[in-house]
Amino acid sequence: MATKSKSLPLTKRGLNFEMLMWIFTRLSALAMYALILFAIIGALVMGARNQMNLADVLRWGFMPNNTHVLSTDVPDLAPWATPFWRFVASALVLVATAHGVHGLVVIADDYIVSPRGRSIVRFISIVFMLAMIGIGVYVIWTA
Amino acid sequence: MQITLKIFRYNPEVDSTFHYETYTLEGEETDRVLDLLEKVKGYNDGTLSFRRSCAHGVCGSDALRINGRNYLACKVLVRDIGTNITVEPILGMKIIKDLIVDMEPFFENYKKVLPWFINDSPLPADGKERLQSPEQRAIFDEGTKCILCACCTTSCPSFWASDDYLGPAALVTAHRFIFDSRDEAASERMEIVSETSGLARCHTAFNCTLACPREIPITKLIGELKIATITGKIE
Repeated sequence: MATKSKSLPLTKRGLNFEMLMWIFTRLSALAMYALILFAIIGALVMGARNQMNLADVLRWGFMPNNTHVLSTDVPDLAPWATPFWRFVASALVLVATAHGVHGLVVIADDYIVSPRGRSIVRFISIVFMLAMIGIGVYVIWTA
Repeated sequence: MQITLKIFRYNPEVDSTFHYETYTLEGEETDRVLDLLEKVKGYNDGTLSFRRSCAHGVCGSDALRINGRNYLACKVLVRDIGTNITVEPILGMKIIKDLIVDMEPFFENYKKVLPWFINDSPLPADGKERLQSPEQRAIFDEGTKCILCACCTTSCPSFWASDDYLGPAALVTAHRFIFDSRDEAASERMEIVSETSGLARCHTAFNCTLACPREIPITKLIGELKIATITGKIE
């Protein structure tokens, strides 16, 4: 009977940048679900059950930035503005922006075939992504 | 019954652009679209051009876009699609004449995945066959059914956008050899299908699976290739 090794070594299975980013896109989508769920549960634990309506809880859940609590009935902002929640919000900005920008790059690759064109789009996308992450994190930690 | 057949027409020697021509024919509900095309060519307009060979769903020559979906004209019956039928060439390819497209980009992509058996090891002691178990064969059995009709590749939005993308048919062929226990070039093929225009361009639209006249679960096979790049498992 023909024999064949059951698996390919790590360096011989085509695990290049394209495939790593393909995996990242899947994992970052799951991470976004986890972070959003975590923020919603956190909001409920911090008293959102009595002081926020569903829309406010979701706004906080999708972007757990303490400025999103300002316009609600929550009297004390301090628990919502801890470094921990700022860190969670920063993680969401990082994951969501990278996920979204990579999605745009994938779509652009469908239409831009020349290697030079792809390089230009990728460069612009990375600059845009870093700028968006920088602005987002700045707002979260200074607001 | 009366059948209305609207056919995409383009003759580069005469036409500056394409147009549609409509033919009204007498036919049966058991007629195949290929029968109708033959009837138009034989009795209405001998200049109508289309590919056909075996006419029994084996050679894969007559892949066409029929009522907006890819079929083999020799396998789809009037009763399956109704009496108002629009026939167009498959999408994403340069049109040569009428329903005939230039298949070269499709076969160029096919060739990239090394679509042949590679095993440089010496033959078994008895000098005969390289045997494999029914289970080993079952892993890649679906992929061996491909007839290279291009129904899948030309229904794929990623391929429409750029024929640079290997496309479902080439990936199915890569799967067929990568998961074959007798083949020894799995790592070379994995490198090829993981390039920028390979696996990552598959956005799991499932059009290929719906279009395949051989009912190959193409998206599933491409998914197995994606998993193999992560786990390395090819058995």
